[in-house]
Amino acid sequence: MSLHTSQEVQTRRTPSFFKLIPVIPFFLLFGFFFCYPIGKVIYLSLMSNEHTFTLSNFATTLKHPYIDGIIGSIKLGLISAGISAFPGALAAYFIESHGGTKLKRTIAALSGVLANTGGIPLAFMFMAAIGVNGALTKFLKSAGFDLYAGHFSLGTFTGIVIVYLYFQVPLMIIVFSPAIASLRREWLEAATSLGANSFQYWLRVGIPLLFPSFLASFLLLFANGFSAYATANALTVGNVSLTPLQIAGLLNGNVSAGQLNLGKALAVTMILISALAVIPYLIIQRRVQRWKK
Amino acid sequence: MKMRTKLPLPITLVILAFFVFVPMLSALEFSLKTSVKSQHSFENYLWAFRQPEFLHYIVRSGWLSALTVVISLVLLVPLITWLHISNSKIRPIVDALSLMPLIIPVVAFAIGAQVSMPMFVQDTVLEIPFLYAMIALPYTYRSLDIGMSAYPIKILTEAARSTGADWVSTIRFVVLPVIRASVLAATALCFALSLGEFTLTSLLHWDTFPTWINDISQGNVIGAIALSMLSLVIPFLALAAFSIFMPEKNTTRSVD
Repeated sequence: MSLHTSQEVQTRRTPSFFKLIPVIPFFLLFGFFFCYPIGKVIYLSLMSNEHTFTLSNFATTLKHPYIDGIIGSIKLGLISAGISAFPGALAAYFIESHGGTKLKRTIAALSGVLANTGGIPLAFMFMAAIGVNGALTKFLKSAGFDLYAGHFSLGTFTGIVIVYLYFQVPLMIIVFSPAIASLRREWLEAATSLGANSFQYWLRVGIPLLFPSFLASFLLLFANGFSAYATANALTVGNVSLTPLQIAGLLNGNVSAGQLNLGKALAVTMILISALAVIPYLIIQRRVQRWKK
Repeated sequence: MKMRTKLPLPITLVILAFFVFVPMLSALEFSLKTSVKSQHSFENYLWAFRQPEFLHYIVRSGWLSALTVVISLVLLVPLITWLHISNSKIRPIVDALSLMPLIIPVVAFAIGAQVSMPMFVQDTVLEIPFLYAMIALPYTYRSLDIGMSAYPIKILTEAARSTGADWVSTIRFVVLPVIRASVLAATALCFALSLGEFTLTSLLHWDTFPTWINDISQGNVIGAIALSMLSLVIPFLALAAFSIFMPEKNTTRSVD
């Protein structure tokens, strides 16, 4: 009631244009530094070398070697997210439901840092651990297990997947923990008092409640693994086809292509695939939050 | 939740610790290696400190990240305050826009910046903090938005305004102290993100601490590993120092 009147007072006091002033700098900067670059990429991706409208850039992205990059990146996103999601969710569950406040805060801070590691530092950490002369490699070798007996190498697809787990699992813990925290003790008590055992509680209450958040987190992890550049760049020497690496190659002029705007078409393809994962993530998150209230 | 056994948590923590610290400690051990077999020293770190570029790039990355934080806060604190007070129809739009950068892979964003920014922008390294601020926007915006939702910002600002404060002092002396915790969280996140940013920086051909490590690694691998370890530790130290030197919250009384 009082809020309502004060809003009316505000409305009467200030002319409508003046009310928009705090929003203007945001729209200007966001428009210039974000929307304009993205718009320009989309526009150029549809332009031929002679600056006429064409879809041929996109046609090329669907041919060898660029289609291999797209498939490789999608596979990398799916596999790294698939391997990280369940262990991350389980870790989030045990920490969130059994851990004290201090532990939760420490893990949250640590996960925040780890989810952002990447590039050369991350590549070096894994080279030092499971590279050819790595500490863990040597240890395993002395225990009778040779990591490098087969075709394993950090610079291969498998190697990249393993390194990506280092930031994917912490990211899972970050995005999934709030869902666990929202499981209320009363629901377990209600289920138990109605005669459910622990298995039935999880089957009928726990998992159905957590599943949307789990799916959403998986999608975010996919997008994260799909678009990561720095780490893949540090680990490989052009032997693994991934779209971000191909885009960088075109951008830096290391690779020449007949079509000037091919890199932009690849970028737009990446945006579309990423959007297919991130937008459902955002929608699910929003619905889960609304329903929690 | 009541558990029959307390075992799962320690097991989880041991596995996580193994997973996190084996690579980290291996790299640390590597960075302490010397040319003489099985001897350790800090010589690689001393080598790194002696590089004339070392200080240059640390300082550069530091001020670029600090500027990103300033841009983000100056842009967002008044904006979100206003959105909370006015309950404008624009609010859901701005909320949605703030999440858009999550959708765009940084590589794609880098191409966009390269083809769209006018020359006078591309010619100055000052373009970098503005672009970082866009990448960090989903995190900074959410953090500040959640912080502000926890307080009756509307009532507080109206009280300040009706007792004669102008908007600048209202934000400076009422809003900022109230949402201090989330401002700190947004600052830490934004600063750490900018400090470690590699993709955008390198694709736009700018040099910062992370891209410098990349260059060094072509010539001196162990030196670069030492620098990498520093690049993991420096953000920690910067953030710790930041939270220590930040003045203590003393405005709780005036809020009541």
